[in-house]
Amino acid sequence: MTSHVARLYALALSILGLFVAWAGIAAQPWGAAEPPAVSAAHDQTAAALAEYGKRLRRDARLVHRILARRAEQPPPAAPAVRIVTAAPVATTRTS
Amino acid sequence: MRHAFRAMGTEIQLHLRSKPAAGKLLAAAANEFHRLEALLSRFLPSSELARLNRDGELVAGPDLLAVVDAALAARELTAGRFDPTVHDALVAAGYDRSFELVPAGGGVPVLVGSACGGGVELDRAAARIRLDPGVRLDLGGIAKGYAVDRALGILGSAGPALVDAGGDIAVTGMPWHVGVDTSDGTFTLELSDGAVATSGRDRRRWAGDDGERHHLIDPSTGRPAEGELLRVTAVAATALDAEVLAKALFLAGDLEAAAAEADALGIPVVLVSLDGRTVLAGGMS
Repeated sequence: MTSHVARLYALALSILGLFVAWAGIAAQPWGAAEPPAVSAAHDQTAAALAEYGKRLRRDARLVHRILARRAEQPPPAAPAVRIVTAAPVATTRTS
Repeated sequence: MRHAFRAMGTEIQLHLRSKPAAGKLLAAAANEFHRLEALLSRFLPSSELARLNRDGELVAGPDLLAVVDAALAARELTAGRFDPTVHDALVAAGYDRSFELVPAGGGVPVLVGSACGGGVELDRAAARIRLDPGVRLDLGGIAKGYAVDRALGILGSAGPALVDAGGDIAVTGMPWHVGVDTSDGTFTLELSDGAVATSGRDRRRWAGDDGERHHLIDPSTGRPAEGELLRVTAVAATALDAEVLAKALFLAGDLEAAAAEADALGIPVVLVSLDGRTVLAGGMS
């Protein structure tokens, strides 16, 4: 009789131990134990990537605008000019 | 009527063939030069450009915004030969103050080329200009042309006009005669509406410890440009365009390359080499 009760207690303790171990594993304590420096480095890398992506999108918009403007506005033709024999009003020089 | 004065480190001449209100218009055009100099000079600590160079970011007025926009477009158009980010290279070469104060007789330390081509962001909607760290702008190669065009806009509304800012010349309203110096003397161009500008190493030059230096920086080296050209005169629709084209063709380096580019692009030019040759190209005749 005493031996039967002892076996029941042992079974109950085993089941309890199993649940405790399961809860412990499910909590993934090793994830929280990650060093804060590594986590911060990941954050900085992600922020830098986001900033780089933003810059690429901005550059792409700029290139599109430049190309659109170039297509709209062909460069102005050079004005008509000829060499004559006359005294100049002003003389061009390195400015 | 004619009006002469100094601004932007050079002699300015305004000509207007119109009687009514000519005096007022000439004064307004002169004021425009002084106003733009106060905004765009890198030597005046209170200018918008100096503040931008100091702080790296600025909500700019419409003129600085327009000139920086034009300078960036010119950098793209000329594949980097024209570049407003040559500021530090000019300073390293000894051009660190208004040109008349730069010592002509030497004593400027040995030159180390400075990097050019840094990032400049322009947000037109917010009127904001932002420079990448370490980037500073010099608008000397384009601001004078912009001012000439603005002044001509004021005078040209009243009649035939010519604006000459130290050799950057724009005309409108009638055939005007503009001289061009060559190794064989001066000849005269006739131009009714348009502009002429000259870039070269024959002026704005000074002595450094390691030889002569001049103000035309090659952005690819960060040092005063070398090559066989003494000066380039270009004709274009506006003084701003003529200034940019003259500088870009000067940086082509040699006479044949510059002439070929001018022919291909249809830019009337007069090219003068260091050894005294003069070549007309781009339809100039």
